[in-house]
Amino acid sequence: MQQQDALKSEIIREFEAQRRVTLLRQRTQQIVVLIGFSALIAVCFHVSGFFSGSQGSDPWGRIANLLNIMIPDLKPEALFEDRGTAGSLSSWFYDMPTWLALLWETVQIAIVATLFGIFGGFWASLLASKNLSPSPYIYWLTRRTLEVIRTLPDLIVALILVAAFGVGPLPGVIAIALGTMASLGKLYSEANEAADMRPVEAVKAVGGSWWAQVRFGILPQVLPHYASYGLLRLEINVGGAAALGVVGAGGIGIELSRAITYTEFDTYFALLILIIGLIILIDLVSEAIRHRLIGLEATA
Amino acid sequence: MTTSAAIPAPHHVTAQEMQAARAIAPHLVDTPLAVHARRLALWIGLSAVFVALCIGVDMTPAAFAKGLSKLADFMGGMFPPNAAGGEIRILQALAATFAMAVAGTFLGVLGAIPLGLLGAKTFVSNPVLHFLIRRSFDVFRAIPALVWALILIVAFGLGPFGGVIALALTDIPRIAKLYAEAIENSDPRPQEGIRATGGQRRAAIRFGLLPEVLPVMASQSLYMLESNFRNAAILGIVGAGGIGFELEERIRIFAFDQVAWIVIAYVLCVMALDYVSENIRSKLVHG
Repeated sequence: MQQQDALKSEIIREFEAQRRVTLLRQRTQQIVVLIGFSALIAVCFHVSGFFSGSQGSDPWGRIANLLNIMIPDLKPEALFEDRGTAGSLSSWFYDMPTWLALLWETVQIAIVATLFGIFGGFWASLLASKNLSPSPYIYWLTRRTLEVIRTLPDLIVALILVAAFGVGPLPGVIAIALGTMASLGKLYSEANEAADMRPVEAVKAVGGSWWAQVRFGILPQVLPHYASYGLLRLEINVGGAAALGVVGAGGIGIELSRAITYTEFDTYFALLILIIGLIILIDLVSEAIRHRLIGLEATA
Repeated sequence: MTTSAAIPAPHHVTAQEMQAARAIAPHLVDTPLAVHARRLALWIGLSAVFVALCIGVDMTPAAFAKGLSKLADFMGGMFPPNAAGGEIRILQALAATFAMAVAGTFLGVLGAIPLGLLGAKTFVSNPVLHFLIRRSFDVFRAIPALVWALILIVAFGLGPFGGVIALALTDIPRIAKLYAEAIENSDPRPQEGIRATGGQRRAAIRFGLLPEVLPVMASQSLYMLESNFRNAAILGIVGAGGIGFELEERIRIFAFDQVAWIVIAYVLCVMALDYVSENIRSKLVHG
């Protein structure tokens, strides 16, 4: 009896000693990770000038001041007067026809770039999916090329293209189309690889060519995915196209940078409202189309 | 399974068989003229719209060809890539860009935690409110960082500070949406268990919710860091410094060999960051 008790307490003591060691090790590990992480954050904030005095001492005051100069002086009694009256809505949105034209250009850039991106992404995805690629070398090469293009931000590409094609929407279209192609190429190739291969084998068995295998074996399965990824990308591209004008690649962005150059901050705010409105509109339209596509798929 | 050897030679349909098939089911053999016409009209209409859109954005073969020859010149000028003695400066700029991305992501995460809770159905159960909050995330998510940066640089002066704030503002709705989804998708049973044994709501969150969602949230934050490194690179264009500024400067003076050097260094850095972060993320999620 006594022996058993002694054994028990011995085991318990051993267990507790081990547990203490494990806990200590865990704690040390946590502390080291925490210190390393905090140091990284602190250094990064320091490098990005977060604590330096050059920004002025009163950040909240600066933000308040910024908001103050962004809010237009609207007068309630003159809200619906014409452009000439100070304080009316139309004097705030004083260049509405130009802005609407530029917004339309933004949408056009997004649509054309998305279409070209879908087209390019489709062909790239055929080369970049394991089950369809004509050779493993082409598969590898296409995948790596798409990866490299994906690492380059659209605006950097646009900057180089503006130097080549001149100021205008064309370089913006090419830049966004390239980015869209690279990201859709990846998503589409994943859809291709997840597709059922039995229809492809059936087409192959009756003597169908490579294109017939893709057209009748793969496409019917993946087309709904293609369309919904493409529409999602269109939504992203409208936002992206809104920024292009800042580097001279067309769209509403050119007015954004003009407003900043002429220190018209209330105009900037007005343009921001228009951009947000446009994004909401595109979201709604694209959602409606996507729901229709899903409905078609369900009834088919 | 099927091997190519087992597949018999394809059978060629004779004219007689076609005739017989046509007699049984004519609509399957020949497409009716009306369907043909409708399809043709649809294609012509869509092509016309497409061509009109292309012309609207100057996407004409002539404009394309004109720029292409210039672009070929630039590409030729890119080889061999050459830093022209600016290696240290470029690497410093890359480090500054990375620092901006880390600081922006950190602030974005801080801002997104309360918003993510607000956006989760389990915390705000009113459907109208939930819809409005989530929709506003969607809308603000689409505004590019550059648009925020343009105005913030004016407020805070040239330099990375405005860029950091712009990155954080771009991130907050994106991260908040991801967090809200992570919280909604978490298993409610551990929390119910803690409440059932008499634990407070705080204890339920600490021991029921956090252990499940924290790794997911950390992984998503790392993913945002990857995307922010790309975003931070462009903010230099509007005056936030970093690699974007170095690039823009050299594109302006057509020094394309230096542009190529910077782009290669940048792409390598992005790939290295993606690789490290992917490894950490898979460790976080799979334990």
